[in-house]
Amino acid sequence: MAHISTDQLLQLETTCGSFLYELQIIWDEVGETDTERDKMLLELEQECLEVYRRKVDQANRYRAQLRQTIADSEAELAAICSAMGEPPVHTKQPIQRVGNLKEELNSIAPQLEEMRKRKGERLKQFLEVMEQIRNISVEVMPTEYIPSRHVDESDLSIRKLEELYRQLESLQKEKNDRLKQIMDHLSTLNELCSVLGVAFKETVREIHPTLDDAEASKSISNVTIERLATAIGRLREIKIERMQKLQDLASTMLELWNLMDTPIEEQQLFQNVTCNIAASEEEITESNTLSVDFLSYVEEEVLRLEQLKVSKMKELVLKKKTELEELRRQGHLVVEEAENEPEIAISAIESGAIDASLVLNQIEGQIAEVKEEAFSRKDILERVEKWLTACEEEAWLEEYNRDENRYNAGRGAHLTLKRAEKARALTNKIPGMVDTLVAKITQWEKERGIGFTYDGVRLLTMLGEYTIVRQEKEQERKRQRDQKKLQGQLIAEQEALYGSKPSPSKPQSAKKVPRTSTGGSNRRLSFGGAATLQTPKPDYMHSAKSTRTAKKLDDLGSRGLDIAGLPVKKLSYNDAITKHQEVGMPRKPFASIVPVNTIPSAPSMPVIASTLEENQAPNKMLLLTPKNPATAAAVPMRVASTPAPTCLVNDGKLSVVASVEETEYSFEERRLAFYVGGR
Amino acid sequence: MSTATTTPTGGRELSQPPSDGISNLRFSNHSDLLLVSSWDKTLRLYDVGENFLKAEFLHAGPVLDCCFHDDSSGFSASADHTVRRYVFGSGKEDFLGRHDAPVRCVEYSYAAGQVITGSWDKTLKCWDPRGANSSDRALVGTYLQPERVYSLSLVGYRLVVATAGRHVNVYDLRNMSQPEQRRESSLKYQTRSVRCYPNGTGFALSSIEGRVAMEFFDLSEAAQAKKYAFKCHRKSEAGRDIVYPVNAMAFHPIYGTFATGGCDGYVNVWDGNNKKRLYQYSKYPTSIAALSFSRDGLLLAVASSYTYEEGEILHEPDAIFVRNINEVEVKPKPKALPVPPP
Repeated sequence: MAHISTDQLLQLETTCGSFLYELQIIWDEVGETDTERDKMLLELEQECLEVYRRKVDQANRYRAQLRQTIADSEAELAAICSAMGEPPVHTKQPIQRVGNLKEELNSIAPQLEEMRKRKGERLKQFLEVMEQIRNISVEVMPTEYIPSRHVDESDLSIRKLEELYRQLESLQKEKNDRLKQIMDHLSTLNELCSVLGVAFKETVREIHPTLDDAEASKSISNVTIERLATAIGRLREIKIERMQKLQDLASTMLELWNLMDTPIEEQQLFQNVTCNIAASEEEITESNTLSVDFLSYVEEEVLRLEQLKVSKMKELVLKKKTELEELRRQGHLVVEEAENEPEIAISAIESGAIDASLVLNQIEGQIAEVKEEAFSRKDILERVEKWLTACEEEAWLEEYNRDENRYNAGRGAHLTLKRAEKARALTNKIPGMVDTLVAKITQWEKERGIGFTYDGVRLLTMLGEYTIVRQEKEQERKRQRDQKKLQGQLIAEQEALYGSKPSPSKPQSAKKVPRTSTGGSNRRLSFGGAATLQTPKPDYMHSAKSTRTAKKLDDLGSRGLDIAGLPVKKLSYNDAITKHQEVGMPRKPFASIVPVNTIPSAPSMPVIASTLEENQAPNKMLLLTPKNPATAAAVPMRVASTPAPTCLVNDGKLSVVASVEETEYSFEERRLAFYVGGR
Repeated sequence: MSTATTTPTGGRELSQPPSDGISNLRFSNHSDLLLVSSWDKTLRLYDVGENFLKAEFLHAGPVLDCCFHDDSSGFSASADHTVRRYVFGSGKEDFLGRHDAPVRCVEYSYAAGQVITGSWDKTLKCWDPRGANSSDRALVGTYLQPERVYSLSLVGYRLVVATAGRHVNVYDLRNMSQPEQRRESSLKYQTRSVRCYPNGTGFALSSIEGRVAMEFFDLSEAAQAKKYAFKCHRKSEAGRDIVYPVNAMAFHPIYGTFATGGCDGYVNVWDGNNKKRLYQYSKYPTSIAALSFSRDGLLLAVASSYTYEEGEILHEPDAIFVRNINEVEVKPKPKALPVPPP
């Protein structure tokens, strides 16, 4: 009521008053009682009060409403500001008021509107970001926590937004990384596939269909990446496997080429294989170098080479076999082996049952054995050859002697004469030859422990038969001679009786090359110039045994060894042997060791033979000449192969050359023991 | 053909030789000093040029082997089980170590800077000479051998050990933990001595049976095909061979030919490649116990000293002869190729 202007009040009062006056008039007219008038005035007052009260309430309410609105707005504003992280724009001071409520409201409202708008925008941003985040999360980690769409409206600050942006960024980065990883994997996979000859597209599609598709965005989930990695690992393993296999094949190929001297052109074909023989896994990148086809191609080639090798081995085996047979034939060694043995060997090799190289080794071993045996027999065989030729000459000579016309001067008669001379000389030597042969053979047999065979026949038997035949012939001849002599005597007697003397048929025996015989001291071997002087000493013939050994030293120049009785001779062989053994026995330590050497290159073995050697082979270089201290000429060494220390016949005796005990001692050890024991 | 200066006795005889058997003698690698070890318990150093005994070192027992360290010091292996070093000028003696039995051989490896000794206690020991005189610091390693060590030889980093029982071990000095090769002598009788070729491709073994085997380190078939053995130091009498142990071998440093000395008192020079004997010197008074070529190959020291092969007997006095070597005696003679007909 205070603010109402005086004018209005006056007016109001005037209006009210006029009404009242009018009312009074009315009442007066009506004649209302005072009580009634008072009641009506009271009513009127009360009604007016009511109306006032109502209006005031209304205004009050409106004011309250306004206040509320303002407060709400302020609250909202504050809320928004806090949510947005900005300081409240409108700081409401509850005490002081900037102007009246309406003004306040008016000032707040736009601010509020402003803030609302901004909040809206901000919210939009958030929503955007979160949408993006969500999308990428779905791509990147589909099975994991997907942030909800819900935006926390209580925090819309820049800081939070920036946080979200960062999150988005990192997610994007992650996505990019993965994408890159996948691309890398894909390229590696591509490489591997190309090398291995595997289809890239199918492999990739298997892992994830999107990977193959050029258009669609590729799956970058962990699962995909894992699967890619496993696929790569698997393929890499295969690559290494195949690479090793290829390298093995390549090295086998090189071996085989080496073995068989394959020409360069052939080798060039596989240059691409062998160049990689030492490559590491990363170095092999050419497409299809490790594909299944290529590998089988190389395999085939290796197989072919191996078969070639087998056939070559077979050839070699056959060749070696022929070599072996040749050697055997030359050494007059007959081996009882099954005739189908070679065929067995070949078929075995073909079937692969026996490794050709084993057979080869076996044959080589046999060859070596045969060579060794042939070598040991060489000397004897040479003698046998000589003997055989001598026998031939002997036979020829017999024929010749039987020929009545032999002294007729025909063409080439002088040649035959010469041959006859030579033949006689040779035949003279035969008994000697036989003797030495027998001795050597016996010794050889003793050393080797087996019989000496010549083309399957025991040589000693052959020689024995020969000597028997000879003996018989000799006896026959002797008989004839005696007979002739008898006849001659008879004729002479007759002539004496009758006075004529027919020319005595010259005893053939005089012309004949003298055979060995028990009797006949007049062994005049001077027929035929080739025979050297013989000094027939009676001793020889009757005591063949010991003289052989003892007299040899004197007879360095003589060849009179073949003059000994046949039957005696037989004994002499054995005796010679025993003699040899006896002579060998008494021995001072270190003074004289008879080295037991089974290789007959040493001339010193048999007592008999050594001097013979000296006789017959002055060119043998094997002896040192002890009389020549200052030898200037280079003398070859007496080389003897020292076989691996196998048990020798006299090994036991000779190894104890040092002392009688089991352990060996060096000279120094014995010397020291002696010194320590007190000199 | 005979040379001007060779005396009938085969070289200059050194004065003041040891009074008992000579076990080994060696020329130095730097000069004409000769180190001699003897059963009279001394180690002697001779100046060969002046024919003068420069130093003498008495031991507690017979000295079985010796070798030079450098020109100023040397090592000795003694029957009293010890290995010692002697500085010649000062007479200082260093104790390197001991074995459990007489020490039979000693070698010094320039390549490894170590002394190697072999003993009848069946071991090989390597010593660092710088650790001398301190207990056990000299010993670098002990290596068990199959039997008593009889002879040793070195070339480069290779060591060849010959033991009783005809065992031969080849070691690489850089890895002594186990032998590079375990071999058996290809000779059938006791090994007397082993010497490596100067060119390092192999070694020669000599035995008591008048035989020498030429062996090669390379175990390939091609190399092993070249190995051979030959008889030497034998005498033919009454149709039989008398066989003498080959006690010593020495390789000529320049020509690679080698000399062998045996109990027959002869020294032969051989060309191993062409398998020929090049020369035989006139007989010495008694067995040849040791041989050594000087560093330039112009001198050969011969120890004419009975080596007890027949036990205790009367024998010629022990002497050391030094010969001047003529080229013709040691130069190899390759096989003459056949001359084509004119």
